[in-house]
Amino acid sequence: MAIKFEQVNYLYPSFDGSNFSALENIDLEISEKGEFITLIGETGSGKSTLVQHMNALLRPATGSVTIYGIKIQKNTNKNKKIKLNPLRQKVGLVFQFPEYQLFEETVLKDIIFGPKNFGVKEDVAIERAKEVIKLVGLTEEYLERSPFNLSGGEKKRVSIAGILAMEPDILVLDEPTSGLDPKGRDALLELFTEIHKKLDKTVIIITHDMNTVYKYATRVLVMHDSELVFDGNASELFKSENIVKWNLDLPDIIEITNQLEKKLDISFNTKPHNVDELFKLMKGVL
Amino acid sequence: MNIIEIKDLSFAYREEFFALNDVNLTIKRGEWISILGHNGSGKSTLAKLIIGLLKAEKGEIYVDGVLLNEETVHEIRRKIGIVFQNPDNQFVGVTVEDDIAFGMENLNFDREDMLNKIEEYSKKVNMFEYLKKEPHNLSGGQKQRVAIAGILAMNTDIIIFDESTSMLDPKGRESIMEYIRDLNKEGKTIITITHDMKEAVNSDRIVILKDGKVLAVGETNTILNDKETLNSSNLELLLPLKLLYKLDEANIKNEKVKNILWQLSLNK
Repeated sequence: MAIKFEQVNYLYPSFDGSNFSALENIDLEISEKGEFITLIGETGSGKSTLVQHMNALLRPATGSVTIYGIKIQKNTNKNKKIKLNPLRQKVGLVFQFPEYQLFEETVLKDIIFGPKNFGVKEDVAIERAKEVIKLVGLTEEYLERSPFNLSGGEKKRVSIAGILAMEPDILVLDEPTSGLDPKGRDALLELFTEIHKKLDKTVIIITHDMNTVYKYATRVLVMHDSELVFDGNASELFKSENIVKWNLDLPDIIEITNQLEKKLDISFNTKPHNVDELFKLMKGVL
Repeated sequence: MNIIEIKDLSFAYREEFFALNDVNLTIKRGEWISILGHNGSGKSTLAKLIIGLLKAEKGEIYVDGVLLNEETVHEIRRKIGIVFQNPDNQFVGVTVEDDIAFGMENLNFDREDMLNKIEEYSKKVNMFEYLKKEPHNLSGGQKQRVAIAGILAMNTDIIIFDESTSMLDPKGRESIMEYIRDLNKEGKTIITITHDMKEAVNSDRIVILKDGKVLAVGETNTILNDKETLNSSNLELLLPLKLLYKLDEANIKNEKVKNILWQLSLNK
């Protein structure tokens, strides 16, 4: 197991001196191969705090997170004996607003910064940059441009390229598609699917978009009030009565199918996954 | 009467590359219009031109009958409030209260009036109990509500929402949409900029931008019926609409089903 959470609790200090609990008794295992996980839950439920424990950016208040055999606890690394760099190379984390993390004068320098930091030679890093820039759907010409003159979507792609260049086993992305239009969103999700399938890596995405969850995820984690309340597959989740309590939406396809069933007083044997399947079901009853 | 008139408007960030190309558009007083388009279609550029944050290469913008130029830009900004996409980028105050006051301070409101308005509008957006709080403790939806309170306090005739819900969770999104509906009912002219058709169907009219040009403009019902335009817009069709088109193509005619799908498309 690549990452293992055992009874993890995490507290944020409040200004009035009290503590605010962000994670409560989390038990969770994540494999380094072949998972496409979506992590969902309303704002403030603890999603971002959870993923920041996956590469030791945060340390649990109680409990432990074991990442590639290294056990991280409250006082781990107070004296910097453990090198955390290798963990951060293995588990690549892209923040919610990755565009804020761009700081170099060219896209190339930005992309090779990470790999160089982890000891990759400059010429090797440059070769990787040329590969990953294409992977994220941009051309090599972008490498010489300034990151600050790019559109929001392009900046996002560049920052993802920077993480890919580190060749992590596990790729964690905090709301990578928020603010993108449908085409841009789908292009990125297809890219993550490709990374997941072709390179057999685990991809973990935080999202509010239930259509994304239903279409792509092999496993869904739901956070609610600092607790991990669901760990399973999407079809199972969207059948659950709890989704109202957890403030989650239904994917459009399920919502529309439910409405049609109700208004036409019919019931289908299966739940469709896309509009073509729904069309076939409708054709059968009309 | 038209509150905004845009004539032959063009703008280029780089030479020869027009973010907006010969845009003509009129917006009626009190209407809710959506500007719909893919990333890079020119939607946000249009908003920035309307409030005078960018200067057009060519063309004219009239707001409430006044031609926008360097002399009139301040007068025009008193008529238009804007709520941006990323709530973190528009927080200027140290506390929620400061933030709501910021716009009014710029417009030289007197102090008494300002304090009354802060109370009134923070209550209106359900943020009164947060007035002394610091913004980084708020959720994205709460931050957007504070931004809206600041705009309301300035009492502008026109409010632009530039993808203001795109970074929020479903609950935050719905709460902002409700404020927009109420504001429009109270008589404000609303311009929502979005790439989400689900959001756009709430408005009276829709403008579709594609590659800097107006691809279509019309009543929401009319636009949703215009299959060809929608298919060429690079936008994602609403799911019930997709199904409706598919049934049409297969020549399956059932008025009841059609009607249901149409209502579902309109979010009703």
